[in-house]
Amino acid sequence: MVTKVEVSIAVLVLIAIIVSGVALGYSLSILGKLDELTRNMADLTTSMIDLTEAMTDIADKIGASLDTINTIQSRLTEVEGKLTPTITVIGPWSGPEMDKFLPVLARFEALTGINVRYKVYRAEELATLLPAQFAAGTAPGDVIFMWGWFIAENAENGHVMEVTDLIDESKFLSGSLDAVKVNDKLYGCAYTGKVKPGFWYRKSFFTANGLTEPKTWNEFLTLLDTLKTLGLEHPIASGDEIGWPLSDITEHFLITFGGPELQLQLIDGTASWTQDPVRGIFEDYLVPLLDAGYFSEPIEWTTALDLWWQGDYALYFMGSWITGMVDDPSDLGVFSLPGCEGLVFAADYFFIPKYTQYPNEAKELFKFLASSEAQRLQVAQGGHIATNIEVSLDSYPEVDRIVANLTVGKAVLPDLDDSIGGEFQATFWDQLKLLWVSPQSLDEVLQNIEAVAP
Amino acid sequence: MIILVLFPILNTIYISFLSSKGEFVGLDNYADVMESKDIFDLEGFPKRPPLGAFIHNMIWIFIHLPLSIVSGLILAIILRDVKGSSVVKTLVFLGMVTPMVVGGLLIRYTFEKDVGIVNGLLSFVGLGNLARSWTAYPDTALFALIFGSVWLWTGFSMILYSAGLATIPKDYYEAAKIDGAGVFKTFFRITLPLLRPITVTVVTMTILYELKIFDVVLVATYGGPGKASSVLAFQMWLYAFMYFQFNRAAVVASLLTVLTTIVTIPMIRFVVKR
Repeated sequence: MVTKVEVSIAVLVLIAIIVSGVALGYSLSILGKLDELTRNMADLTTSMIDLTEAMTDIADKIGASLDTINTIQSRLTEVEGKLTPTITVIGPWSGPEMDKFLPVLARFEALTGINVRYKVYRAEELATLLPAQFAAGTAPGDVIFMWGWFIAENAENGHVMEVTDLIDESKFLSGSLDAVKVNDKLYGCAYTGKVKPGFWYRKSFFTANGLTEPKTWNEFLTLLDTLKTLGLEHPIASGDEIGWPLSDITEHFLITFGGPELQLQLIDGTASWTQDPVRGIFEDYLVPLLDAGYFSEPIEWTTALDLWWQGDYALYFMGSWITGMVDDPSDLGVFSLPGCEGLVFAADYFFIPKYTQYPNEAKELFKFLASSEAQRLQVAQGGHIATNIEVSLDSYPEVDRIVANLTVGKAVLPDLDDSIGGEFQATFWDQLKLLWVSPQSLDEVLQNIEAVAP
Repeated sequence: MIILVLFPILNTIYISFLSSKGEFVGLDNYADVMESKDIFDLEGFPKRPPLGAFIHNMIWIFIHLPLSIVSGLILAIILRDVKGSSVVKTLVFLGMVTPMVVGGLLIRYTFEKDVGIVNGLLSFVGLGNLARSWTAYPDTALFALIFGSVWLWTGFSMILYSAGLATIPKDYYEAAKIDGAGVFKTFFRITLPLLRPITVTVVTMTILYELKIFDVVLVATYGGPGKASSVLAFQMWLYAFMYFQFNRAAVVASLLTVLTTIVTIPMIRFVVKR
């Protein structure tokens, strides 16, 4: 008799056989599909390899094309370079001053597509370089900043390009281009310049000590005495370099007490250094101040600037470039000697040497530097005063606007020694250094200056 | 040699006989320059400088030559067998390798009233009332430059004398010691005579240095005040590149060439003789 247990086992075995059969069938089906998948994968891999080879081929072709493009591009640049050459500008500004000039050149490049390279050479260095270059019929730059008298002298010798047709003289400060004029023809132009307005002081120092700007000569003397009583051995710092800071002070005294016309007479040689009014101005005004010790000994001018700023001195005679050299220009105050009717304006003159390789491009840059656009860009950054009268006062930073304003109603005069140059300039500077430490040598000083004056 | 040395020398001499317009003027330029106060300014002598560039060069030689040679020799002898002397020698020789322009700046600031070490020392020893900018006054500017520049050149004589001392056999000193010679006798009878070739070289080179001194003057005083510290090479530069009087500059250059040649002849003869 078959028991229930046996029946159950038989059923289970049957079920197991059926399930195993189904599983086996399913497994065989999967294996078939896997086989198909493997074949497909192999096909895919083959395709991928083909694709990679094709892409490598394409990449090679693109690379070759890029090389060709690069070659073409460099040749185009080469051709472009030949079509738009790089011209060289030589100027005296380095460091922060150069940083303020470069945007002007960048603007010119953007406007014209002409490339400009800037090189720094001081006028003293150019004085040793240019004569030899000119003698050899070459020039180190296409537009060069240099002393006005040097430009005029070399124009007479045929080394400078005439630029009368490039600029409109009426658009410049009256008389500012005289220094670069020969026989009524222009050989250079005044870029921006610096005014030498008078004695600078720190407003905070004056306020703290209850001091005010003097309105008369006697008030000036009183101010100096007051400063001495405040403990300043020498109230005025005297800057020294090769002598120019002292010549600026001296010119200010000559203009104040001899009038603006005296400066012009000394430049053209119609006034004598050993006679009145020049001698009298030295004897009555400048020498007494030196004798009384109101001026310090000549100190290297940037050192003097630091000492003045930190309060060792109260007053410092310097040009308007000082506004870009102090930590807080808003603390600067300045006054001219009472009664002064003229201020020296030292322009930065530039010219095109006759030997430029790119005369057309040099002329373009020349015109741009003379323009109100270039000068506006420059003065907006501080420390410069425009020579182009189309530059409005609004273009200046506040402290420079005050300086520019000082020139209103006053004669704008050329710098005495910069206008004459040569032996006079070196002697003038050197003799003033002597006068500063030896005021009793006045006669000797004036005679030596007179001996080399025009 | 012909292009870089001989031609410029001959051409300079040639230019010295021409006017600024290129005409031959004989010795006119020489007379003009020699009569000028720039070169000789002895009117009212004795007086403070300026005495003229030529005289200033002579004063330079008169003071600077013995100071730099003697100090170099003393240092060489003192440091001869001292351990670690190379450090001191390096410091002294530093002046020699310092660019002259930097040397000029150092001198200028060394003697400056407000920031100079000389016035600082004066104040330290209680002589602060003497403080002044020594290079700014005509009576002290030249001397400040001369004394200030001793350090710049002492290294040269010290190194040459050190080398010379190393070549003297120690036996000589031992023999002298046995014979009872003292320090001074040994120095004057052995050291100094045996250093004679070195001394000839050092003296010649030092005088050449003093004749062509330029950078220090340019940077420290610009020849002033009132030309009180001007020297020949500086005056030549002034003529050429500030006054643009190239013919007068050529005269001074020729004069310097003659002077340096005269100075060099004894050394050449000494070398040839040996």
